[in-house]
Amino acid sequence: MHARYADGRAAIFSDVEVELAAETLIIRRGDRTITWSYADLARADDKNGRIVIRPKKPDTGERLMFGDGYDDQLAAAAPHLMKPRAQGVEGRKTVGALVALSWSLAAIFLIGIPFAADPMARALPAKYRAQISDISWSQVDAFTVQCDDADEATQILNNLAYRIMEASNVPEREDIWITIADAGFPNAFALPDNSIIVTDDLIRMADHPDELTGVLAHEIAHIEHNHIMKNVVRQISAGIFFDVVFGGAGAGQAIAYASVNLAGLRFSRGDESDADSRGMDYLDAANISTGGIARMFDRFQEYEEEAGVGDIPSMLSSHPASRERALAAQARAREGLAPSLTDREWRIVQHACGGADAIASEAEVAD
Amino acid sequence: MTAEASPTQTFAHSGKFFNVFGLALKNAALTILTLTMYRFWARTAMRRRLWSRAWVLGDPLEYTGNAGELFRGFLIALPCFFLPAIFVFYIAPLAIEPTWAAWLTFTFYVVSVPLIAAARYWMRRYQLSRTRWRGIRLGLASSAWSFAAASWGWWILQTLSLGWYTPAARINRARMMWENTRFGDQPFQFETPHGESPQKGMWWPFAIGWIGTLIGSIVSFGVTGFILSALTTAGIITLGADGMMFSLVATLLAAALTAISYFIAFAPYRAAAMNRIAAQITIDGARFHLRAKTLSLLFYETLGWIFLIFSLGLLTPVAGFLQVRYLLNRLDLIETPRFADIGQSVLADTDAGESLGDAFDLDMGVGVI
Ligand SMILES: [Zn+2]
Repeated sequence: MHARYADGRAAIFSDVEVELAAETLIIRRGDRTITWSYADLARADDKNGRIVIRPKKPDTGERLMFGDGYDDQLAAAAPHLMKPRAQGVEGRKTVGALVALSWSLAAIFLIGIPFAADPMARALPAKYRAQISDISWSQVDAFTVQCDDADEATQILNNLAYRIMEASNVPEREDIWITIADAGFPNAFALPDNSIIVTDDLIRMADHPDELTGVLAHEIAHIEHNHIMKNVVRQISAGIFFDVVFGGAGAGQAIAYASVNLAGLRFSRGDESDADSRGMDYLDAANISTGGIARMFDRFQEYEEEAGVGDIPSMLSSHPASRERALAAQARAREGLAPSLTDREWRIVQHACGGADAIASEAEVAD
Repeated sequence: MTAEASPTQTFAHSGKFFNVFGLALKNAALTILTLTMYRFWARTAMRRRLWSRAWVLGDPLEYTGNAGELFRGFLIALPCFFLPAIFVFYIAPLAIEPTWAAWLTFTFYVVSVPLIAAARYWMRRYQLSRTRWRGIRLGLASSAWSFAAASWGWWILQTLSLGWYTPAARINRARMMWENTRFGDQPFQFETPHGESPQKGMWWPFAIGWIGTLIGSIVSFGVTGFILSALTTAGIITLGADGMMFSLVATLLAAALTAISYFIAFAPYRAAAMNRIAAQITIDGARFHLRAKTLSLLFYETLGWIFLIFSLGLLTPVAGFLQVRYLLNRLDLIETPRFADIGQSVLADTDAGESLGDAFDLDMGVGVI
């Protein structure tokens, strides 16, 4: 049969005669013969309409191009040359191995490390933690104003928090410090350095001291169970995974950046319900009714519905109010307990951060 | 097997749309299933498909690269590029002073600019060394770092000239690339006809593009701004959170319109630049002639963008295919090199691969240069 042969040394094809023997393919070019064993051959054409054959390894640059109509004869002599493998298409094993590799990496970085996030977060040098706190604080400073009339109220809240933590023996009770901040929206959140920020709008939202105390208990639980640093570890792990697997397209950086930012301080649902139930344990131990936090959850929900979800600063909506959380808290509520703050203390807290003016003007309207 | 192939023109691409589209779909599916790890295999299969359907004087090109070496290149790039990147982006912000961390990030970006140029060169070297025609290997000589350094200089001139140096920079880059390109032992040359500017015919199209984009952006932002303020005055939208949302949407819309006007206004320039570059490439006395036309080029480019955008990038190779087929079918050779005298390449086989090209996401899948 006729074919065209290139010898890999010059950029030309020349006409040759080819014989398909039992184990080998014989190329006759003038008085020279070249013998190729079928087993050592590969295809070089990717089904472009012309069968081209080459030595598999090493690739000498020799090529044998067949004319039309020899497919069947070649297929009969060397069936493996008709298989996708001969064209360089990878086998099922390769694809299977890739699937296994990628999902194992995903399992390690997205499940394994998050699972071990607690010990890993505790092993993080204090320096890292301080650094993350600084970043968080610089952002808190960007959207809140310090209150200069809140010293007494702050002291009352911290005393209250200490009382609660003592009742449940919270190890971090000496480190936790609550700050009242002047911001345009109700929220409370914990920072990596064991600070808790409560906004004046949140205080104003509460009608009874127990409602505010419930929120504080919830935040203390986040700190006791190390949710903040666990979350940072989780997010960084996800960032590295996306970077390595997706080839540095930027998704990873975005996640890592978010994690050291306040936006990354959002907790998983599991952590939220953990903080809910631990927070209520504190309240029970300190003889404070969980009815307060139940009402607070309702208020959050109302606020969200009224303001529209878009209006809540999403970076801080780490406490999505929900009916279920309110009901769970209501179910545990006990009657007949004393309020967590005296009337006098509660008034001072309410007057913090310009609250005095707000209350005064309300009183005038009432008169 | 049918005789549909081996076309008679000097250059031709016999790729069929649905054949390429089918492979692109299969690749996309496996890429998702493997959380993108399949991308090296996808890229290799697509190149094999596109190369094998590019015919020169009746004989097909051949892509001999294999995915395993791309994957190994990626593994090599992990410690060289990704570990420093992970340090800069994840560890440094926590472990060192914020000011120093910021400087480190800045330095990282500054180093990345020439590194991207070098990566482009490595990538092209890899692709050429894995491309054969009539069994003879192509290649790219010289060092990627000198290309990176020169590129960096041209980039600064482009920036300082507010873009007006771009046609010259484009030609300079093409010259450096092509003068180092080899077919076997035969070098390509980049020769400007005597007494002509290398950028002949490129300046007016560039001016059209530059001014067109400027007008396009002014009109886009002006019109959206006007509509926004009209709606506000009419009280249909209010200031505050809703207003913020509207102005954000309006800004994005105006930016998109600007990008579209850039894409359309520079189409004549893109066609002119390709034609001009092709006209200056020679090998062994043979010259090339490319007939890219603004409207038809724009049509295929638009089609490509539509595929890219609506598949979220997964079908980008289809866009590459449309462009390669368009160009090859409009390319001619004037005179013929003495192929019998062109011997096998003596350039050492590269194995550095495309690792960094992958890191920077340079070609999104095909590697059409
Ligand atoms: Zn919470």
